[in-house]
Amino acid sequence: MREVIHEYAVELDWMEDMASRLNGYVEDNQIKVPENILSGIRYACPIDENLTAFLLDVTYHEDVLFKMRNKRDDFVGIYFNLTEGDAIHLMNDVARPVGRWAINLALVDAKLPGDYRIKAGSVSYMISIFLKKKTLKEYIQAIPALNMYADSIFDPDKNTIVRFDRMTSQAWYLMNDFRKMDFKNPLFDTYFKATVYGLMSNFMDQIVNEEIILEKVNQEDIINIIVVQEYLIENIKDPFPGISSISSMANMSETKFKRLFKKITGLTAHTFFLNSKVGSAKEMLETGNYSINQIAAEFHFFDASHLIEQFKHIYGITPKDYLTHL
Amino acid sequence: MDLDRKEFSYHFTLTPEWQNQIVEELDAKLIDNRIIELPEHIGTGGSFFLEVMPGLSVFLLDMTFHIPVSIVRTPTTQQIYMAYYDMGDEMTAHILGTAVHRVGYRSKLGMAFMGSSIKGVIMPPIGERSYSLRLIMDKQLLQEFMQKKKGKEISEKLFDESSNTLFFYAHIDSRSKLLLNSLKNLSFSSPSFQLKLKSTALFLFGYLLERASEFRTSYNKLSELEIASITKTTDYMLANLFSEFLGLKALAEMAGMSVSKYKIIFKKILKDSPNKFFLNEKLLLANTLLKNGAYHNITDLAYKLGYTKAGYFAEVYKQKFGVSPSEDLAKIDKKEQLT
Repeated sequence: MREVIHEYAVELDWMEDMASRLNGYVEDNQIKVPENILSGIRYACPIDENLTAFLLDVTYHEDVLFKMRNKRDDFVGIYFNLTEGDAIHLMNDVARPVGRWAINLALVDAKLPGDYRIKAGSVSYMISIFLKKKTLKEYIQAIPALNMYADSIFDPDKNTIVRFDRMTSQAWYLMNDFRKMDFKNPLFDTYFKATVYGLMSNFMDQIVNEEIILEKVNQEDIINIIVVQEYLIENIKDPFPGISSISSMANMSETKFKRLFKKITGLTAHTFFLNSKVGSAKEMLETGNYSINQIAAEFHFFDASHLIEQFKHIYGITPKDYLTHL
Repeated sequence: MDLDRKEFSYHFTLTPEWQNQIVEELDAKLIDNRIIELPEHIGTGGSFFLEVMPGLSVFLLDMTFHIPVSIVRTPTTQQIYMAYYDMGDEMTAHILGTAVHRVGYRSKLGMAFMGSSIKGVIMPPIGERSYSLRLIMDKQLLQEFMQKKKGKEISEKLFDESSNTLFFYAHIDSRSKLLLNSLKNLSFSSPSFQLKLKSTALFLFGYLLERASEFRTSYNKLSELEIASITKTTDYMLANLFSEFLGLKALAEMAGMSVSKYKIIFKKILKDSPNKFFLNEKLLLANTLLKNGAYHNITDLAYKLGYTKAGYFAEVYKQKFGVSPSEDLAKIDKKEQLT
């Protein structure tokens, strides 16, 4: 397995070193790597003096172990990870599966070393945000419930900032939309920055609402809930399978299932399913090739009015208005 | 203009200092150089100003006025452009020169793009929530993007203010509308608000540049009077959607122009011919009226809108919306029976 020791930072001076350890070079803020190791885009975009985003859109052709050993600890990393394949994050002897169908959101203090092992054949789509701690502290101070704790949260003797989560469906949709953008588009950076600010704002909401704290939930239960989520997305066009059938799929009582699903995804199973359904219907609508009736039938909505009502509820306008001015 | 209307004037800059003009004139409170809070005797709510990146700032206004005011943006020679999005609950009267142009919910032309050399007046409704967002953009930034899209020569001509005026009125596109809807639900004091506003401003900026076709390449200089004259006629049309098309000759006369000049300048601002613009707005109104349940009979609606043949109306309606008016009507009627 190839081992890559590297650091990250808000400043971009870590890129050359990381590139050379991958037998590559840096060009236009991209780390170019030989195709036999991995193919795709590794691109860093400085957003402001306190914030840098690093985009990974790659396929691995070799097993790689990334060992993050930061030299600076004035920042945190916020990782939105939609990797599909075999990826494991190792920290303090705890191994966590990460990626689209596992832990897909992490906030990690730069001073913590961490290893990230990814197997050949994995397809990684990840946005890493490097944010100066002083800026994060300002954000945290703006949250009334956390204001009085801000000093102790950022006191290195008392606390280490680390948090493993699942991203919200809004964050997932933001990334999914951005993923369609062509890297060569002159507006790529504009939309990248817009997406990063959107993800950060969503992350702040998540902290404020404290809906999702995975550390307190049993690992096996998390995996079972995520398996159900994956099942629901794969069968997004079908009618809702019902709580009793999906809770038995997760080996849980209905009561436990409902409580944990809400805790892990921030939504009830039915709302999660319906929101995802309407989101997929919107994508189909955007192609311009189908009528609302056809889409309603395809996704097993009761009828077109049902789809229209749900669409309006989520997006604030009707699908027709949406399409008229698209 | 009514005499008892309080008038305030200001002009934008990309940096926060322009807010002092408003704060002084309105006797308002400025917080953190970002938030303006209206004094109680004028209205409730406030505004939020943020520098998003070099060359791009955003100004969000969420106010409910208690007294009649007119807010005048004075023309400047700065190299700044503005995009204006109106998401208010009620119409806002937007005056350019002497013509009242309505933007917002009813007339649906919720978006405008213009240079800072054109004067603008806003007369917000009393007791209704005014919600609007403005992108304030540096000419150089816009030019850089336009160069990548259309080449250097075209971009330079487009932004040459001595021979060209960039200006258009349009509907807010759907993607922008979704973002604005979701921003509208968020309070200024929410910890995620600033990040969300930055994200929204950047997306809107991107969508605006994607509408590049609306940055016309037929160059000529528009005077404030010409813009005012055209908006006078669009306003007339929007206020008389139930009537027949007035005719090019009468409209041109209203604008004080020859028919050929009127047609050219109209198209430059509205991206459509006067006749097409009028018919399009008529159909959008028809669509709204059907959805509101105001009409239960297609023939009645067609006559009300000035169509002599209901069949023809149904045909053009279907062309625009993909479904016939009777299908839309059936859906509404079914819904009413259910509730």
